Amino acid sequence: MIDAAHGGTDAGALLTPTSVEKDIALNVARRLRQELNTRGIQVQMVRDADLTLSTDQRATIANTANPALYISLHASSLSGGMRVFTAMLPSGGDSKGPFVDWDTAQSVALDRSKTIQTQLMFAIQQTRFPVRALVTPLRPLNNIKSPAIAIEISPTTGDAAQVASSGYQQMICSALANALASMAPALRTSAGTRP
Amino acid sequence: MNSRLFFVLTCCLCVIALAMSFYVWQLRKNAVDEAVPTAVPEVVTTPSNAAQKQIVLWVAHDDTGTLRSQSLSIAFSSERQRQAEDVVRALLGVYTVKGSPHPLPRGSGVRNIYFVDPGLIVIDVNSELAAGQTSGILAEELTITSLVQTLSANIPALSRVKFLVDGKEVNTLAGHADFSNIYDIAQFSAFAQRLSSQ
Repeated sequence: MIDAAHGGTDAGALLTPTSVEKDIALNVARRLRQELNTRGIQVQMVRDADLTLSTDQRATIANTANPALYISLHASSLSGGMRVFTAMLPSGGDSKGPFVDWDTAQSVALDRSKTIQTQLMFAIQQTRFPVRALVTPLRPLNNIKSPAIAIEISPTTGDAAQVASSGYQQMICSALANALASMAPALRTSAGTRP
Repeated sequence: MNSRLFFVLTCCLCVIALAMSFYVWQLRKNAVDEAVPTAVPEVVTTPSNAAQKQIVLWVAHDDTGTLRSQSLSIAFSSERQRQAEDVVRALLGVYTVKGSPHPLPRGSGVRNIYFVDPGLIVIDVNSELAAGQTSGILAEELTITSLVQTLSANIPALSRVKFLVDGKEVNTLAGHADFSNIYDIAQFSAFAQRLSSQ
């Protein structure tokens, strides 16, 4: 499942005077879906238009679909290439029996998320594209009970306009799709054949 | 009433009217002067009896997306609340100068720091800091990790942290970093160590 972050009234970061994060995230999400589909991987989109969705709504959509992997796509002007994040969970958490605490729902899948993060980073590194693995206190990552990561794409040159260029987006999506396709058998094994 | 007496009375009334006008004008001027707040120094200075102490700042660097520790000698109050304010002021001083490695706008600051439960620190940043923060997952995380790690490196016995903006609960710092929950400081410390080693 791919979630293009922000949208609607939430524009996200202003990367250049003419490009905002919500639009770049949606463009990258659509390109990534296309790349994954051509590799035989089914994809669900949380949004496929300029919609306003709260983080709770996004988490509800993801938790209902129960995907093999949830990816939240972001874009940033802070250079560095690609950053892959897993959740930094809030303190506490009050899960009881079958009832999972909303704010720490990711705790049930965090180990799996970290394994996927490591595998994804390793696969991207093979392409020599700069990539880092980090953690972040970011919603809705915390609220999702499936394996979940956030990917922040950023320029490698220090020029934020690079992130808005279709060539750069396509290169990142191809690299990501190749990496995810190489992990697909393992993802299917651990989560059935869900998208 | 003869005309001479009338003239004298008129002159007296005019003098009284002028005197009253002057008095009212003075009253009004004083009221306006009192309404204007006395200028408050932008930086609250630490008491002169505070001892100099070497503190550690965990400074964010946008160019590499990392944190680096650096030492600084400051006047350090004996009061815990004041210590926290001194430490944060020193850190934000690095960020609000020209050529900063992690620029924040002038006026960025922390309104209050509260020690609530044992170990819980509530950091209330001002709206200038939130509005001037570069939006992005890592950009925002560098700011809060730098703040939390600098505080925990210099103020003992902190275990959890909560952020407010202008005294209010908000969802995020600038669209990404979650401000709606309480987080363990140990997680930020581990992350800071990781960021400083990359």
